Parts: sequence; structure tokens; C-alpha cells
Amino acid sequence: MRSRDGANEMTRGPTLSRRLVLGGALLVPRLVRAAEPVRLGLLRTLSPAPFYLAQERGYFRDEGLEVAFRFFEAAQPIAAAAVSGDIDIGVTALTGGFFNLAEKGVLKVIGGGLHEERGYEGSAILVSNKAFDAGLTSLDKLPGHSFAITQYGSSFHYMLGRIAQAKDFALSRVTLRPVQQISNMLAAVSSGQVDATIAIASQAKPAAAAGQAHIIAWAGDVVPYQITALFAATRFIAENAEQLHRFAQAYKRGVADYRAAFLRRDPQGRPVVDALTLAAVTDISHYVFTGDPQAKEKILAGVGYYDEGGALDVADVIDQLRWFRAQGLVKGDSDPASMIDTRFLPTR
Amino acid sequence: MTQPPSMSAAGSGLRLTLRGIGHAYRALTVLQDIDLTVAPGEVLALVGPSGCGKSTLLGIMGGLIAPAAGTVEASGSVADDCLNPVTYVFQDFALLPWRSVRDNVALPLEPHLSRAARAARVDEVLALTSLTAFADAWPRELSGGMRQRVGIARALAVRPACLLMDEPLSALDAQTRTLLLEEFAGLIARAGITTVYVTHTLSEAVRIGHQVAVLSRRPGRVRALLRIDRPIEGRRAADPDLLAMEERIWAMIRDDAATAERERIDAPD
Amino acid sequence: MRRIDGPVAFRGGGFAPRARGWAAAATLIGLVLLWQALEMAGLVPTLFLPAPLAIGRTLWALTLSGELWKHLSASLLRLAIGWTVGTVFGIAVGLAVGLWSALRSPVMAVVAALFPIPKIALVPLFIIWFGIGEGSKIATLGFGVFFPTVIATAGGVDAVPRGLIRMGQSFGLSTWKIVRSIVLPGALPAILTGFRVTTSIAIVLLVAAEMIGAERGIGAFVLAAGNLYDMDALLAGIVVLSALGLIVAWVIGVAERVLLRWR
Repeated sequence: MRSRDGANEMTRGPTLSRRLVLGGALLVPRLVRAAEPVRLGLLRTLSPAPFYLAQERGYFRDEGLEVAFRFFEAAQPIAAAAVSGDIDIGVTALTGGFFNLAEKGVLKVIGGGLHEERGYEGSAILVSNKAFDAGLTSLDKLPGHSFAITQYGSSFHYMLGRIAQAKDFALSRVTLRPVQQISNMLAAVSSGQVDATIAIASQAKPAAAAGQAHIIAWAGDVVPYQITALFAATRFIAENAEQLHRFAQAYKRGVADYRAAFLRRDPQGRPVVDALTLAAVTDISHYVFTGDPQAKEKILAGVGYYDEGGALDVADVIDQLRWFRAQGLVKGDSDPASMIDTRFLPTR
Repeated sequence: MTQPPSMSAAGSGLRLTLRGIGHAYRALTVLQDIDLTVAPGEVLALVGPSGCGKSTLLGIMGGLIAPAAGTVEASGSVADDCLNPVTYVFQDFALLPWRSVRDNVALPLEPHLSRAARAARVDEVLALTSLTAFADAWPRELSGGMRQRVGIARALAVRPACLLMDEPLSALDAQTRTLLLEEFAGLIARAGITTVYVTHTLSEAVRIGHQVAVLSRRPGRVRALLRIDRPIEGRRAADPDLLAMEERIWAMIRDDAATAERERIDAPD
Repeated sequence: MRRIDGPVAFRGGGFAPRARGWAAAATLIGLVLLWQALEMAGLVPTLFLPAPLAIGRTLWALTLSGELWKHLSASLLRLAIGWTVGTVFGIAVGLAVGLWSALRSPVMAVVAALFPIPKIALVPLFIIWFGIGEGSKIATLGFGVFFPTVIATAGGVDAVPRGLIRMGQSFGLSTWKIVRSIVLPGALPAILTGFRVTTSIAIVLLVAAEMIGAERGIGAFVLAAGNLYDMDALLAGIVVLSALGLIVAWVIGVAERVLLRWR
């Protein structure tokens, strides 16, 4: 299904030699890639919901593409998998790990994804009961407290950093607790081992409702930003630009459906839930909360903001890169423009 | 060799009385109806074919093995400075390889004596056994003969009233054995310590024993008890009377030894 | 019949490998030089494996900024406490197992059941039991060290010649005196061999222990560098862990030479 063009022939040489170098480690020297599906790396969460819709509704097929989803446990390995050639495209948060690899010219951001947006309950700042009772009731009181993140350089680390900037305190005054997994972050706060963390709405709201923790703020209200983005391996972009264009078209249709299903508001500013919404919930529940009787409620509680057309917020990507560099988490001085390719999707 | 004043109290040793001793390892009877008496200051040599239970009997006398039947009694007066009335000397020396000669000898004194008192006593027995020059050597640096000297020194250091020697020379070569036997015989005789001396070697038995108890093959019983009325220190290896005695014992145990050699079942000896 | 005439040919020798310190050092240095040469020749892309010089520069920068010591000191403290706790309990239990039949089978059954569990899998449990701070990290190290120490100590006690213990009994020594003066020193070679294993295990477990909730520590540093795909820092951390292992092995070697000089 994949067509080859002239550029492909020209780039085969270096690609082959790199594969040979890596071959020992990967043991999958895929030298022939005819009729292979496009492999998309993503997390099994609500955040890539437009891709679920595009897949379920055959938008990729309409473009003559077969797209295979490859699910990962954490964001940073998705970037590494794109470099090693195990996936072609990734959609996830732009982490420190992503930028370190992008600095070497092997990854490029090609489109926008989920946003933390004012008025949309995306990620909550969740505080343990113990810390809340002891007075941690607003973001400016975070200094001196412990804060669980997955890993250094993760989107949670970044969000906390932006909160620190917004609330004018030094990030170093918060004790970071990297706990590797999102489930650990939630458990650490529910059990009172750590004072605060960030949790997505679909997890934060039930925890707060059950009295296990307190929501003191929504990230989107304090630090609106583009939390996830679409990226591809530079090699794949060079070899398969045309294919990528078609992929982008299908993605845009998915985003349009998503916005229609979840982002419409009635005159009172409340989300509109109608047949469109329920159809989207059904499609999405094939991927997340599958078989969960509360799937509808959880999906409705967890959907976040997507820009029209999957637009990429270029300035925000550059802001993120600057922050990671300033923290010493990303090393390099490549031109940020070299890490972004705006040929495929609109920009904001 | 110098004679330590505190070890000259001949006659103050213990009397050892064995009554009806019997022992078995599971279904295997190794000792039966053993009655023996060792008078204070006397040396009893215990001989018998392989596997007859000699070492087991010695273990019972030393309280290291609980007999299935019978009693062992030790009676008599012991010196005030005696720290372990009934003391063992082992065939394989049982030295702690991580302790120097001096510290090996000091081991049994440690719970009882101050550092200074220990050092004095250790020096004394090392001199007695000609080990002074080797006080700081590791056991591995010593020949077998020297190691058994350390074993003897350690035993003497506690001022025992009774010595139980389990084939103390059998791990050594013939020449060393002859030399050490004379030396040990002299030491024991001068100190007047009641001694039971288990051996395979009949010449050793007649050289050192006031009595020689001959055990039969398993189940071991006292087959004969011979007295040798001759001072131990004056005995010569070439003494015709002793050679004759050796012949007599050999005649007694020869058949047993031959049978035992063919039938031997591996049992703890 | 055949005739034999001539000198007897030598046919002994061999089968006696000897350690050559210089060869060990030369091999390591040679490998590093080869690696650097391959990188400089452009045969290995630095994206996938940074050159030794780059790692060295990163290490030097970390040393100058005090970062290295910040991480190393936190890890060393955890290693020291975790290893000591695991070792003390391990030796105590190992001795008990080696000495008393009432404890032997029950404890060894528990040890056999728990020893193969990857301690990394227990980290979440330790966090609930001991908290997300130092407690769970020390527990991870301590547990990792405890089981092999029990096995090494019990084996060492078993290997103490029974004749030596009987000798102690024949002199009327107390049980405690026999344990202290005969059993423990007799088991010491096996215990020290166990130390070689347990110190390595502790260093391996450091990364697992510092996975959850550690702001500082070489393990946390290596994990963070890995997450960030900061290959220079990752390999710098690995070099530090490796050097730590070599130093600890050397210290144990010295301890063996001093404590076991009687051998």
C-alpha cells in the first residue's frame, strides 16, 4: 500500500547502514517495507481520542492507509521507538526525552494534539488529604511540599515548572518525587505518601469524590498549553511525505468529529451531550474503559481540548523546548525550527 | 623437658569407672557390656580391630556421646587450677586454623582466666611441649607432629585430671610417631594424669599402657585386660617382654581384625 | 611387542591458570581505546553510543558542579545502611539456621520461596510499608542483601568441621563461646564470599530502590538520564556504578586478605 518515490532511493544508503549498526541491538533488520501499515505509537488513554475516531470510522482507510496502533506505557519510550524505527508516527506529550532526541535531528513535530485550555478540565492539581488539612489549599503554597511526577522531563514535570513560573516560586522549592508510573502518582497522593501531584480529570474527579484527595486547581486555568503533539521520525517524513499528508487528512477528520462530539457548548456554557457525543463515546470505548459500565461518564469527564484541524501551536513547542533547556534537562542548541515540520497540518 | 611443679601431683588424678556400657547406632550394636576401671594416674591403652567402637567408647567417657546403656563415673580430687577435669586429645588435632598456636592453646582458658594469667599458662605449656619458637605460627605452617604437640599443649593448659587420647599419633608418619610417643608418655607419667589412650598400633599400646584393654570386633566387648607392671618412662621399644606382649595381643585380635577388614560396614567409629 | 627407546616426553603442565593483574587492566583500557577509535572513525553514531571522551567530559562536569557527589553521597548512605541492615539480619538468621534444627527447615523454606522474587516487584509494597522516603529504599536494598546472606552464612556454618565444635564442647565451652570463637570464624570465608555477591546485588538494586520517589542518588540519576535519552549522562552514571562495584570488590578483597590471612 505504501508507495516509494525517488527520494526513497536516495536515502536508502544511510538508512541501511544505520540499520546495520542497530541491527545487533534490535534484531529486526526491516529492509523491505512494502505494503506495511503505518505504525502509530500512543498511550492507551483518552488523550489520543481523535485517532480512535479516525480508525473506527475508517478515515485512514478512506485515505488508502492501514494504520496499526502500538500502545506504550509511558510517553518517553514512544519517542525512542520512533528513532529506532519500531513506530513511524507518535502522538504523546513532548517530553525532555523527546527533545533530546529531536536535538539530534531524528524527530520532528508535525501537528498539534491535546491542549490544557482555560475552562476545560484536563489535568487537575491533586493534593493529599493530609497536606490539604495542613494548609496546602492553593498553588502558591506548593513550595516546601513534595510533588509526585512520573519522571524527570515528563509532561508533569513541565506542567509543575510552568505553574511555578505562573505563581512566581522557584521549582527547586518543591521536592520532586519521580514515581515512574501515573498509577503510582495517584496512589502516592491517595495514601498521603506525597503531598501533591497532577492527575487527569477522569482519575482526579473520582478520587476527589471518594474523599481520597482534593483538587485545588486545573492546569488549563493556570498554564494553558499544548500538552500532546504529533511527531514522526525524520527519516519517515523524508521517505513518506505523501503518505503522511494522507495520514494528516484522516487525523483532521477525526479531530473535527471529536470537536463536534465533545467541545460544543450550550448558551449556558455547558457541554452539549447528544447523539453525536454518544456515538463518539461508543467508538472511543473500544480503546479505553472497554467493558467499564461507567465508560460513558468517565469519557465525558475526561475529554480535553483539541484545536481545530489538529493545529500545531509552534510558539508553545518552542516555549517548551526553552524551558527544558533552561532546566538542563535538554542539552543542545539546534534551531527549534529544525525540529518542526509544518507542511502537514495547520498551525496556530 | 622441664617438669612443671603444678603437674607433679601424681596420685591426685581421677578414677574412671565404666559400668555396663553399651551403645548402638540404629540397629547396629557397637559396644556391649563394657566394664573398666582406670585408677588415678594410670594409663589405659585401648586396642581392637577397626570398627570395634574404641573411639565411641572414648567419646562416651568424655561425655561427647550419650551411651545407650551403662554409666561412666569420674571420682577423685582435682587441683584447684584444673579448668577441665576430663580433657580430649583428637586424632585430627582439631586446631582452629584461624588462630595462631598461642591462641589455639589459649582457647579453653579464655572463659576462665584473665589475659595475663592466660599468657603465663600458655607460655608454660608451650615450653613444656617445645613449641615456644612456634607460638605465633599458623597451624597450616606446622607439620603434623607439631600440630599434635599443639593439641597436647592445649590439653595440658587446662591442667586436666584425666586425658582421653583418640589415636593421637595415627595421622603421623612412623618416625614422628615414635618420637612423640616417648615425649607424650613422659609428660603424662610425670604429670600423673589418668589417661585413656586409644590406638590401632599395638606397639604404642604396650609402650604407654599400665593396662591394655583388648576389644573384640563389633559388637565391641572387653576381650582381655592385660597389666604391664613396668614404669612407663623406663620402657624400651626393643624390650623383649613388651614385644612378647604385643605378639600375644596380635594373636588375640588377628582373626577379628581380618574378619572386620572384610566385613566392615561404614559406621561411625 | 614394540620397543621403546628415548627420553620420556614431558606431559604435565597446564590446568593452572594464574591471575595477571596487568592483563585485566590492559584489557579494560584497550577496550575503551578501541571504542573511542571507532567513534572517532565515525563507525558508531554518537546518538546510539557516546564516545568515552564525551562520557569523561560529562563526568568531569558533574564532578565540578558537585552534582556527582550529591547523587553519590545519597546512594552511598543508602547502600551502607541497607547493606548493613540486610547483612546483620542475614548473618543472625543464617547462624540460627545453621545451628538449630527447629529453625532450619522452616526458615530455609521461607528463604527459598522469597529469594527468587525480583525485589523490584516488591518496591510498591515497601512504599506502603516503609513510606516513599528512605525507608522503602533501604528496605529494598536490605531485602536484596538479606536472603543471599542467610544462604551464604548457613552454608558457611554447615562447612565448619564438626570436629572443631566437638573440640569446643570437650573443653566445656559455652554454646555462645563456641558460636563466637569457632562457628563464626569458621563460617567467615563463606560469609565474605557472600559479601562479594551481596554488595553487587546492592549496587544492582540501587537503581530499583531509587526508581520511586528519589530526588537524589546515582540510581535515580541513571534512570532520569535514561528517561531523558541523555546518553552521555546515562553512561557517565553507569561508569560511576561500575567504578563503585570495582572499589567495593577491591575493599572486600583487602578484607579477605586481612581476615583470612591464616589460609
